[in-house]
Amino acid sequence: MINSLLLFRTVLSTVVMAAVLFSPPSALAQETENSCLQCHESQPGRLGEPVTLWRTSIHADNGIACHSCHGGDPALMSMEAMDPDRGFLGVPVETDIPDFCGRCHVGVREDYLKSAHGRALGKGGPQCVTCHGNHRVMKASPALINPQDCSRCHEYGRAGEIKGAVEETDRLIGVLEGDLAALHRAGIATREMEGELFSLRNSFHRLFHSVEVERVRAETARVRDDLEKIRHKVEQIQQTLFVRKVGGGIVVGLLVVAGLLAAFIRRTYHEEEA
Amino acid sequence: MGVKTKIVDFLDVRLGIRDILEQNLTKYLLPRNINVWYTLGAVLLTLFAIQFATGILLLIYYIPNTADAFASVQEIMNEVPFGWLIRTVHAVGANIIVLALLLHMLSVLFMASYKRPRELTWVAGFLILLLSLGMCLTGYLLPWSQLSFWATTVATESSSEIPLVGDAVVRFLRGGAMVGQPTLGRFFALHVMGFPLVFGPLVLFHLFCVRRAGVSRPPFGEDYRPSEPLPVFRHEEHPEGIPFFPNYMAKDAAVIAFFLALLFAIVFFAPGLFFPPAAFDPADPFVTPAGIKPEWYFLWAYQTLKVFPSEFLGLAVQGGMVTFLLFLPFIDRFRERRPAKRPVFVTCYVLGILLFVGLSIWGHYS
Amino acid sequence: MEESPISPSRRRFFLSILLAGIGAMLAAVALWPLWRYLSPPAGSGKEEKMAMARNLVPVGGAHFFQFNGHPAVLLQNSPGSFLAFSAVCTHLGCIIQWQPEKGEFLCPCHAGRFSSTGAVLAGPPPKPLESIPVTLSGDQVLVG
Repeated sequence: MINSLLLFRTVLSTVVMAAVLFSPPSALAQETENSCLQCHESQPGRLGEPVTLWRTSIHADNGIACHSCHGGDPALMSMEAMDPDRGFLGVPVETDIPDFCGRCHVGVREDYLKSAHGRALGKGGPQCVTCHGNHRVMKASPALINPQDCSRCHEYGRAGEIKGAVEETDRLIGVLEGDLAALHRAGIATREMEGELFSLRNSFHRLFHSVEVERVRAETARVRDDLEKIRHKVEQIQQTLFVRKVGGGIVVGLLVVAGLLAAFIRRTYHEEEA
Repeated sequence: MGVKTKIVDFLDVRLGIRDILEQNLTKYLLPRNINVWYTLGAVLLTLFAIQFATGILLLIYYIPNTADAFASVQEIMNEVPFGWLIRTVHAVGANIIVLALLLHMLSVLFMASYKRPRELTWVAGFLILLLSLGMCLTGYLLPWSQLSFWATTVATESSSEIPLVGDAVVRFLRGGAMVGQPTLGRFFALHVMGFPLVFGPLVLFHLFCVRRAGVSRPPFGEDYRPSEPLPVFRHEEHPEGIPFFPNYMAKDAAVIAFFLALLFAIVFFAPGLFFPPAAFDPADPFVTPAGIKPEWYFLWAYQTLKVFPSEFLGLAVQGGMVTFLLFLPFIDRFRERRPAKRPVFVTCYVLGILLFVGLSIWGHYS
Repeated sequence: MEESPISPSRRRFFLSILLAGIGAMLAAVALWPLWRYLSPPAGSGKEEKMAMARNLVPVGGAHFFQFNGHPAVLLQNSPGSFLAFSAVCTHLGCIIQWQPEKGEFLCPCHAGRFSSTGAVLAGPPPKPLESIPVTLSGDQVLVG
């Protein structure tokens, strides 16, 4: 008896000791940081700033990192990562900036180069970074068009008109995005509509860059029509969801009444049992 | 003669069913002071029947491979008429079942109905609980959403802390190094056939034990005294009792109706309760969403593993507790069933509930 | 509690009638969605048009695609002349295959043969292939 108790305790202590020796909980680290971030993050001054700025950007939110724009090889830990042979582009000169961003933002580049701003490139005119920044690029909104920034070079007048034309539509786009997100959250298949809306928003935003008031106004009307179609679909779905709730209310109500009736029936039996 | 009587006569002459019906319905007497907690068994049978039915319906449209699973569930939710209803009832129903299982277990513990001669009923019931949790875990993966994928990754990862065989166990559970098609395959097979095939007979055995031993008398009231252990089998009679049908069945019906009302209230008015946003994004093995947590009924285990400095110790403690509960009727051999006279047990009971609730809340916010 | 004016059994009778009524309503409410869930969709053959690039189909060749939930095939028998058919064999519903070297369709189930214009050449199919209207629109082919 005593022997088996001692044996049991010995085994238990061994097991516990072995357990304590084991490492702490395993982490599910999914991040494999690229070499650009790993090196530059710890650097002081202007070499390290871009990382902090980039982290809050919309590019970072969507998995676009240093090499996506600057080229190079983020898998190499040595200076070779920044070798031109590995596609490294370095910092673009001012006149190359539209091409730099336009590798992905194709439509915007097209409209910009045709615009008054594009024609003034290299002669004191603005390029992408002027309004959008370079590392802390945020989701584009009409707030980028404002008196302080635009009057750096000229009068605000026409800029204000463009902003007026687009603000309401941009707001509607935002509202629809929110509604679609709520529907997505409810299990509705919103991928197609979200795609349509995204495409619409992109074509809407690229046309700002032409800085032509009349063109912006005309396109805005067209975008509004397409938005209306999506809005209509969303409203139909919301109506369906409401009808479901009404049906649900009826079902729950019937069940509660059924339960109460059964309980009252039980009580009639209970009275007889007593 | 009415049609019903003719049919019953036909069967009675050939199978003697009148006798069976009487013995199990109108002449089956239950203790007079039987309380509402005894309805939970019928509630669970109903809820499991609904799970079974909705599960079969979902099988018609669900596709169990990683390329099509998510899309097939989306189709059920958006294209198939009332598919959203079947799917939501199945998902919410699983959660209500776990709630009812816990309540059922708590009442059995409190009234000490697990004690001799009902140990086998308890063991079968506890195994049913474990199988149900297994069905919840395997079913969770099937929609192949971000939530499915990563919750399963976390749940299977914890086994890696088992000494010596940990990694092999994880590989075996997943069918590979990571959660993937082999995992979906085996989880699907377990969820649809493997577990139910064991679950069915266990439930039948559990019901048989309940009926054969006789319903336990609630240990309350002036005249209750603990009974002597019996040397031979004796079905517990309640000669002064109330007939199961129709008297107690009315109570069963009422509680079932209220539980169904709760189920459908959640289905129609708060479906998001059990569907976080990650449940609607298709699984992406390269992107872990923030804040992946297990379902509420596993949060206690999740938090325990986080609290213990060594995961192995956390696993061992949980394993120990589960084993203890499984064999409880063989550990607690005292005959006393009245809660007022079981202070140690009631203290542990209350502490256990507080621990479960506390760890779950902590797990939710951590 | 003393005897109430209405006896328990009478109350029980009326309550049971009510409960049976509610039960029937709940059963109907449950059976309707079940019926709709199980019923096959009422022909998704809405007037849906599909557009495809004409260079998907080589001259003398065939291109298979999905149309309104069913397999279909687009042919260009001579330059600029397009035909579209349902790719479901009219015999028992197998999907036909294109035989480029012979310029005709063959059904793998019972060797039914269709010409490049959908007509039955040989075998058990009772009717020619179901034709789908085609219109040309620039470098696009509109089917449906």
